[in-house]
Amino acid sequence: MSEIGDIRSPQGGHRRTVILRHVGIFVSLISAWEIACRLGWLDPLFFPFPSAILTGFWRLYVAQGNIWPHLGLTMAEVLVGFVAGSAFGIGLAICVGMVDRLRRYMKPYVVILEATPRIAIGPVIIAAFGFGWTSKTAIVMLVCFFAPFVNTLNGMVGVEAEKLSMFRSMRASKTQTFLKLMLPSALPEISAGLRLAMASALGGALVAEFIASNAGLGVLINQYTSTLNMASAFVCVLTLSALGYFIFRGMEELDRILVFWNDRDRTARVGERRKAAWAAGKGGKS
Amino acid sequence: MKRRAMSSAVPVAKHLLVFAAIIAIWEGASAIGLIDVILLPEPHKIAASIWKMYVEDAVIYRHFLITFYEALAGFVIGGLIGLGLAVASSLNDGFRRYVSPYAILLNVTPGLALTPIVIAWFGFGFSSKIALGAIVCFFPVFVNTLLALTRTDSETLEMFQSMRASKTEIFWKLRVPAALPMIFAGFKIAITTALVGAVVAEFSQATAGIGVLMQRLSFALDMSGAIAALLSMSLLGLILFTLIEILDDRVVFWRRVSRLETVSRKRRDRWFADHGPKSGTPTGRKETT
Repeated sequence: MSEIGDIRSPQGGHRRTVILRHVGIFVSLISAWEIACRLGWLDPLFFPFPSAILTGFWRLYVAQGNIWPHLGLTMAEVLVGFVAGSAFGIGLAICVGMVDRLRRYMKPYVVILEATPRIAIGPVIIAAFGFGWTSKTAIVMLVCFFAPFVNTLNGMVGVEAEKLSMFRSMRASKTQTFLKLMLPSALPEISAGLRLAMASALGGALVAEFIASNAGLGVLINQYTSTLNMASAFVCVLTLSALGYFIFRGMEELDRILVFWNDRDRTARVGERRKAAWAAGKGGKS
Repeated sequence: MKRRAMSSAVPVAKHLLVFAAIIAIWEGASAIGLIDVILLPEPHKIAASIWKMYVEDAVIYRHFLITFYEALAGFVIGGLIGLGLAVASSLNDGFRRYVSPYAILLNVTPGLALTPIVIAWFGFGFSSKIALGAIVCFFPVFVNTLLALTRTDSETLEMFQSMRASKTEIFWKLRVPAALPMIFAGFKIAITTALVGAVVAEFSQATAGIGVLMQRLSFALDMSGAIAALLSMSLLGLILFTLIEILDDRVVFWRRVSRLETVSRKRRDRWFADHGPKSGTPTGRKETT
């Protein structure tokens, strides 16, 4: 992702000129849009003026400030659902992964669950949990459950048989095998699963709010579009883009912390710290 | 995973046994009242709903086909745009630098959030569902294709260059074949997301499709019907996924040994048919020395 998102030119070039060029293109795109609207080529009813979107930001965030409660609610749904759902997914996968027999019989069900569009369960869950925020959180939980579950399971199944037999030949206990072998080798995949889950969590919460709700960003977008107040709807969508971006960056950071051995600098730093801790633990004698 | 080679009937029977046990426990729990049957109906009721939906009333087929069409059309459109932009970006780094920020912006926006806007733009018919499907499935195709095309093995590339392969040759004979497995992995992700997009758009505003059917049934608290519709959706997802898998197997034939053998045998036969058996080896060089 960072690879394709790299906007610097390989020739080097001054950082400032590169950024200027990008900003220039962005500005010309936006002004082309604005001009097309003003000339009447684009129907401003459906494609709002960029300037209208800007004033919409001011109105929604400052003048009226009515986006804040909706934003807070959606964020709460996403966070609670994500933490609960992924914890549940990873926990269940670990339980299943430690038992050989269970793992074998789980596979077909996992495949079916994988094929089902998760968000599609929305109406069923709303019918079960009602229209309040619990049903939305439940949907986010469900959406966030699968990716960590499947990835954790895959990661634990994918441990090399040779390493396992080495651990066995050294008489490692089940806990040791899990903590020192299974978990570390599954961590990259678990982290990838968490990232997938977080990416879909926001979408899940929104869809749940679209289906039936009385508060949240999804409701706000629905209200604005159904009254053809497109500029405000775009403000909400752009807010979501920003949220999505921060979530994405946050998850990348989490990945760097969890799977520190994939990044050379971090490996060195963690190694130093562990060495220091070990030396302190031994009282400096060694 | 199997330690010993067993006949394939035994594991299947075991799986069926496990399945039957789960169903039996579920039925039992509902019978004693551990599970609220209004929210989660008993398996036999779900089976009855499936029977009704597929055989007695046969209502599902129309909805099934509509959603299938929407998801597939969305996938084709979104996939083609993603593929085109990714190929152009891989060929021209300047293009990539100026396109990728917008692609990433589109990716961090939850595409499903655009549902109401897309419906306002494209109306209540099929086109809004197809458009949403295309929007949400664009990025997986784009990112996988671009990464796959730019990550070419440098040694093979060097060999191609040392043999004076032209740029076109390097693209078609090296980059594309090397990228195909990963591109198909992107397709597999994209086709399920296109289905999600179509279904979500149906939830919002539609008159036909599995999403509508399911929403109607669940709001009428006909939970067994809703679960039957949900299972049909899984079936639809499986069908779409399998379609891509078959395509993958056809196109990326070299990954499975048996397919590789079949295809190479076919190619050899075709070559001999064109050139006659005496004219040389399939490498194109005459066996003169």
